[in-house]
Amino acid sequence: MNLIVKPPETFRGDFSMRNSDSAILRLPFPFHDDTYMYAVNMEPHVRGGPTAAYDAVFDLDEHYLGDMQDRALVLAEDPARCQVLPHMMDAEWDTLELLMQSLAHDYPEHFSLTRNGEEWHWVNRPMNIDDTFVFGRAETLPYPPFEYITRQVQGDFTIQDQRDNNLFMDGGMVTSQADWSLNFDLGMAFHEWHGPVPVAHEIGVFDRALKYLLRLQYGKPVRRLNWTLTVNPRLDTSPENYPLWGPDKASVTPQNVGEKICLRVELQTLTRLPRSNAILFGIRGYLIRLEELARVGKWAKRLHRVLRDMHPDIAEYKGMIRYRQTIVDYLAPFDDGAVLNPGTAPEQSSL
Amino acid sequence: MSKSRPVYQPFRIDPAGRAHLLVTDLSHPTEVENIETWVVHVVAPGIQAQGYSPRAFRSVADLLLTLTSRLAREPVGFRLYAVGTEPFLWDVNNVARAAGLGNGEIFLTHAGSLKRRVYCSHCKTMNEDVTENIVKCRGCGANLFVRDHFSRRLAAYMGVAVDAEVPGEIPQAEVIYP
Amino acid sequence: MIVRIANVLAISETIKRIVLEAADGSVLPAAAPGAHIMLNIPGPGRVWKNAYSLVSSGSAYEIIVRRVVHSRGGSAWLHDHAEIGEKIEISLPANLFPIARTAQKHLLLSAGIGITPFLAYVPVLRAQEKKFEWHHCCKLVDAPAFAAVFPPGREARLHTGRNSLNLETLLERQKLNTHLYVCGPAEFMDAAVAMSKKLGWPGAKIHTESFGGATGGAPFSVKLAKSNVTVDVGPEESLLEALENAGLNPPSLCRGGACGECELPVLAGTLDHHDHFLSEAQRQSGTSMMTCVSRAKTPELVLDF
Repeated sequence: MNLIVKPPETFRGDFSMRNSDSAILRLPFPFHDDTYMYAVNMEPHVRGGPTAAYDAVFDLDEHYLGDMQDRALVLAEDPARCQVLPHMMDAEWDTLELLMQSLAHDYPEHFSLTRNGEEWHWVNRPMNIDDTFVFGRAETLPYPPFEYITRQVQGDFTIQDQRDNNLFMDGGMVTSQADWSLNFDLGMAFHEWHGPVPVAHEIGVFDRALKYLLRLQYGKPVRRLNWTLTVNPRLDTSPENYPLWGPDKASVTPQNVGEKICLRVELQTLTRLPRSNAILFGIRGYLIRLEELARVGKWAKRLHRVLRDMHPDIAEYKGMIRYRQTIVDYLAPFDDGAVLNPGTAPEQSSL
Repeated sequence: MSKSRPVYQPFRIDPAGRAHLLVTDLSHPTEVENIETWVVHVVAPGIQAQGYSPRAFRSVADLLLTLTSRLAREPVGFRLYAVGTEPFLWDVNNVARAAGLGNGEIFLTHAGSLKRRVYCSHCKTMNEDVTENIVKCRGCGANLFVRDHFSRRLAAYMGVAVDAEVPGEIPQAEVIYP
Repeated sequence: MIVRIANVLAISETIKRIVLEAADGSVLPAAAPGAHIMLNIPGPGRVWKNAYSLVSSGSAYEIIVRRVVHSRGGSAWLHDHAEIGEKIEISLPANLFPIARTAQKHLLLSAGIGITPFLAYVPVLRAQEKKFEWHHCCKLVDAPAFAAVFPPGREARLHTGRNSLNLETLLERQKLNTHLYVCGPAEFMDAAVAMSKKLGWPGAKIHTESFGGATGGAPFSVKLAKSNVTVDVGPEESLLEALENAGLNPPSLCRGGACGECELPVLAGTLDHHDHFLSEAQRQSGTSMMTCVSRAKTPELVLDF
């Protein structure tokens, strides 16, 4: 896969992060229709989809180095953003194997993996990493296996142990989350960590999702999309640092809304791991400013309609109460009321 | 209403169990039947209740430590019942899980005060005996809104700064968990 | 995926150990103890789809095939005809019987061919230095055959004749942090589970892997409302197999009535349930069934498929 990695931009402070035209067009836009409601909405995670973001098993993009730099900063400040409970060591190695194999296969110009029995040699050229280690022996790596590899892949990850007809979030690397805490949620069961989500419980979404995931098969990963809005392209919107990013929410005006408000899309993947029988949950986040997104006509119109007509409980849970109207007013001029095709593809190949 | 909030059942002995122990942080539990019972009750040093009358511990900490060593000796078929305040129930649960007890062997019943233990998301300090919906963190001073999101592992509710968006704008606290 | 038979070892007159490797020489995906694979066994005039527990773990796939008089066909054919170099199609491993990660001691109980998943458990439990105890029961006449595959070591014991294992004493002395795993014929498993529950073992600590009983029965026909075809189900095949042999693609996973994947909605007909998945209420309602193990009591069934 053709991957051009930019020098790192910032996702905090001066927020120098910008999306190139191709980054904009490859966004996994989350809205199929003009209204939004929770659904189980899982589909097979196969290569290929409405945009290039679906081509790789674990997608990397031009922001690779910026993302990884931000992750390293978060971890230096708060090591509790990466934790794995002791009984999950098999799942750590499963994750390392899966991510290394996927990156080496999908981006061979940037990564290589050579396996000689249990002696593995891993090269990550963009990050200047060249390590030899023994698979299965954690002391031969500079970090524990799960932390080691997730410091080199975009997106947050959790590993879920399957037992007692339930899933338990028994490990995670969570540095770019949409307002939830790994240190608080670590060890929770499926319905518990989804506790705060409104509406979905009443319509049985989580009961069905859990039943489905308990039967997730090895070799048949699935994916779904989730989304929220963020002020500034800030990756670390954690509860821990809420006092740092909270005040930004009151700073949105009609003049700056296009630049400041970002749509944050999560391409979530769920993969059954072979040795541990655990599930690896990948939360690959994409940030795009409204003014960048608005350059895609179909997306501007659809986003306008979705936000204008959203269920108030969902709008509140997504944290957009303060500036929802400002956003709707900003997008309204882009919406000529034309009937749009269902589906998320941009329907244009240049901007 | 968060779905992570535990739902408690009334106290009831499980007939499938072979041995039973009830532990409580109430000093005068009303559920005591023909079952071995441990209570937390300040008694004069050196005086202990015997047999099926409640065994009294000087503190919750003392009870939990003794519970750990008791569970290490028990065979499968054991049932543990805890009755009392919410933080106590989940501290017992953690001791029991570490000893190998699981679903169907531990039974928790809430009784007494609704007071909460609140985890500060910002500095990770635990705040005990919280009865209001807003508490000032004893670790970092943040004014925390007490959410309904509950962690069984931490045996605490999540607290998040109530005035993060507009610093200083703090609603009036109310006693919600007397 | 396609594998090649790398070796066939006769353990006894009735038991063979078959070693599989990737046909293209690549490394097979690692399988955990308790995993099974489906084999597409080409017989004369039909293809059997049988599940076999892997007796190895990691990237070596080994299975044990037993030739039994009342075999449903696939195992007998495989036992008699498997040859080195032959290619065979298998599914990726699936694991419905994994080692419980949070248990501090593992008590393994098996009988007959139920020995197979535990043969994969033992090396991993030992490598991870986990406490365990294994008791395997078999008929006296079968003992030499099982002894040949049984691993040496203090933790594992072979019992011939069920009365030489005192199940009650064994179960009631286990400490709190023990999990129980049972694998074998249905009556053996039912007896072990009933005894453990009587002694106060909670369901969450009892893990079972069923290899299913016979799934044959009286023939019946199935009308498929959506596919607009009618399929006959013969006395020696399951409903699932009949649908597959008719060229349809119904969902399935464990093929043993445990996982729920093959559940299909029923529009008409009286059901004969043999699964472990549906609740009593769901069975009574007669509105769905597991095609891999359940059948019909009436000559005709109508499915919404």
